[in-house]
Amino acid sequence: MQPTKSQHPLSATLAPLDDAIRDAMWELFVQIGKFWKNIDDPSEHKPRVYSFMENRIALDPMYRDYYITANNVIKQLVDQYGEVEGYHHLFTDPDAMKSPPATPLALTRQKVSNEFVSLQLAVGGFKAFGAKNYCGFIGGAYVPSAPVPYRTMENHDAG
Amino acid sequence: MQVDTLIIGSGIAATALAQRLLDKNRNASILLLEAGSHVMTRDSALWENYLVTGNLPYDQFKDLNYPQKDKPGENANIGGTEVPLAGSRVITVGGSTIHWGGWSFRLKPEDFKLRTNTGFGIDWPISYSDLESYYGEAEHYIGISGDSDDPSVPRSRKYPFSPFPFSLQDQPVARALEALNIPYGNVPIARYGVGENNQNQVPCQTTGTCKYCPFGSRFNATDRLSDMISSNEYQNFNIISGAVVEEIVITSKSQIGGVIYLDKASGKLIQVDAQRVVIAAGSIESAKLLLRSTSPDWKKGLGNDSDIVGRNLVTHPYFIFTGTIKENPLQLQPEMNFPTLCTRHFDSSAEQGAGKFILVNPADTVPVKLASQMHSGMMRDGLNSYVSGPNQVQLHGMIEVFGELHNRVTNFPSRNHLGMFETSVDFTKDSNFDIRMGQIQEHVDKIFQNMGAQIVGKPSISWRADHAASVCRMSNDPASGVLDKNLQVFGLDNLFVCSNAAFSSIGAVNPTLTLTALAIRLGDYLANE
Repeated sequence: MQPTKSQHPLSATLAPLDDAIRDAMWELFVQIGKFWKNIDDPSEHKPRVYSFMENRIALDPMYRDYYITANNVIKQLVDQYGEVEGYHHLFTDPDAMKSPPATPLALTRQKVSNEFVSLQLAVGGFKAFGAKNYCGFIGGAYVPSAPVPYRTMENHDAG
Repeated sequence: MQVDTLIIGSGIAATALAQRLLDKNRNASILLLEAGSHVMTRDSALWENYLVTGNLPYDQFKDLNYPQKDKPGENANIGGTEVPLAGSRVITVGGSTIHWGGWSFRLKPEDFKLRTNTGFGIDWPISYSDLESYYGEAEHYIGISGDSDDPSVPRSRKYPFSPFPFSLQDQPVARALEALNIPYGNVPIARYGVGENNQNQVPCQTTGTCKYCPFGSRFNATDRLSDMISSNEYQNFNIISGAVVEEIVITSKSQIGGVIYLDKASGKLIQVDAQRVVIAAGSIESAKLLLRSTSPDWKKGLGNDSDIVGRNLVTHPYFIFTGTIKENPLQLQPEMNFPTLCTRHFDSSAEQGAGKFILVNPADTVPVKLASQMHSGMMRDGLNSYVSGPNQVQLHGMIEVFGELHNRVTNFPSRNHLGMFETSVDFTKDSNFDIRMGQIQEHVDKIFQNMGAQIVGKPSISWRADHAASVCRMSNDPASGVLDKNLQVFGLDNLFVCSNAAFSSIGAVNPTLTLTALAIRLGDYLANE
């Protein structure tokens, strides 16, 4: 029989993330919405963010360390620049995009923050940019006579 | 080991055929031998990994690129036109349906009379009407959402699911086509809808990550085989993965006795005796297996007395036209991952000689990429301008090419990273191809002009072997083909080929639906033998 869920063999023996780390990563997700002004209240997505982190660690045990590192990096940035400027630095510093990531900041940007950005868009952040559906968003089934889960030519023409 | 029906491969042809035989006799003795491995489907962690990285869990089971000057690779491209194998197929349980787009067009009646109508290639030994009812069965087996009222293709049975409505992204091109009096229609697509699903089929949730659907809402043979095995309904139905079939065992001029396969896990060669063998291992592997199965009676390979096996290789050149637009006031952007609008051309006996082609408005015709812009640090104001401002539009398409003897595939004498014989591809596009593409460009330019778009240069064209076909083509006689009208190898009583290799010609559309119809038809033939 094939396994029913993907898991790296080393991930199975890892201790769960501390609550403090999980909370810090949740705050990162919240700050993405504030920075790009695309999700006002992200609270409904909290379980999804937590399960996302668990899935990332299950596939690759390094992610546990990425999240721990991200917590430290964000703490340092906020201590140094304050909350708003600290996250601004994380989200926009071009040096953090150099590949392969060679600094804790670059690791945090590329392995944690940017992945959270992709997730945040997919769970609903995309809606602020005019669309009704998005790749990764679970828009729902197309049921004839019910609203189509994406923008259509017909609906637009009908106003 | 001994079975009644041995099927080489586990893709859509093998699966549909096995299902048909089991529908007729649930105790039928059937074994599928698959060279590849099993890839986990419907897994949330793998799906999210694809969502945020673009990496697919089956990427490792694709061919590598051809060798380059300073980079090793595999397979050999020895013709004048490069036909990449890398990315064209996936060697896994379930075959390439794990990554297919699901475009599920029927051929049209005139496609079956190519030689008669144009003087090119050959006619199919069957007609559209011979296959029409099987097309309907295939559409229901795969689960196609399509427009049952489309008048351009004769049909006797409705699609199982309604067509997905045209997306807003289709609006500019639809308006242009209307202005030019060019008909267009829905893309028949393998996405489950509401109405006819079995308990294991979840309707498409328009999630847009179709290369790895978390719900299994697009047919893939991997899931279908898993469901068949786990149902415990079929006691004599089995699949062995990691089994590379080395050769067909030939017992006489007219009979084969089974196969010998390499068990990749143990490194051992294992013989399976079979009453009949169906090669459903994809187009290229089908031809290669016949070629390397020799005996004193078949010195040039099984079915190859006329030196046709592996020849007449065709595939679809996939072209992408790009235009620029000055603004994007509707904030058009990819909302799904499959197209909804297409327009088919030269679909008549009078025009098909020029090479049929199809244009498709891709799901990312305006390729807004929010995530990558945010990753790079673009601020909100910049994003607003980016989404509504100047951008590109694209039209994709495919064009029919005709089989020519010099275009061929053969075995290359080394193994690829998956343990299979490598492939030598010798293909050179015909001398008129660039002229035909120029004519299509004039056509697309008119569409773009009507859209307010400015065409950018020439199209990009990929000859990737996704739709490789015809290398064991069906024919009315063994001088011009390898298979008879029942997919049986000429001269052999119990050997069949059921893959795109069997196509006598390929039209301008994706072959999978036609292949599935052929597989179901073969199932009926074998069940009645």
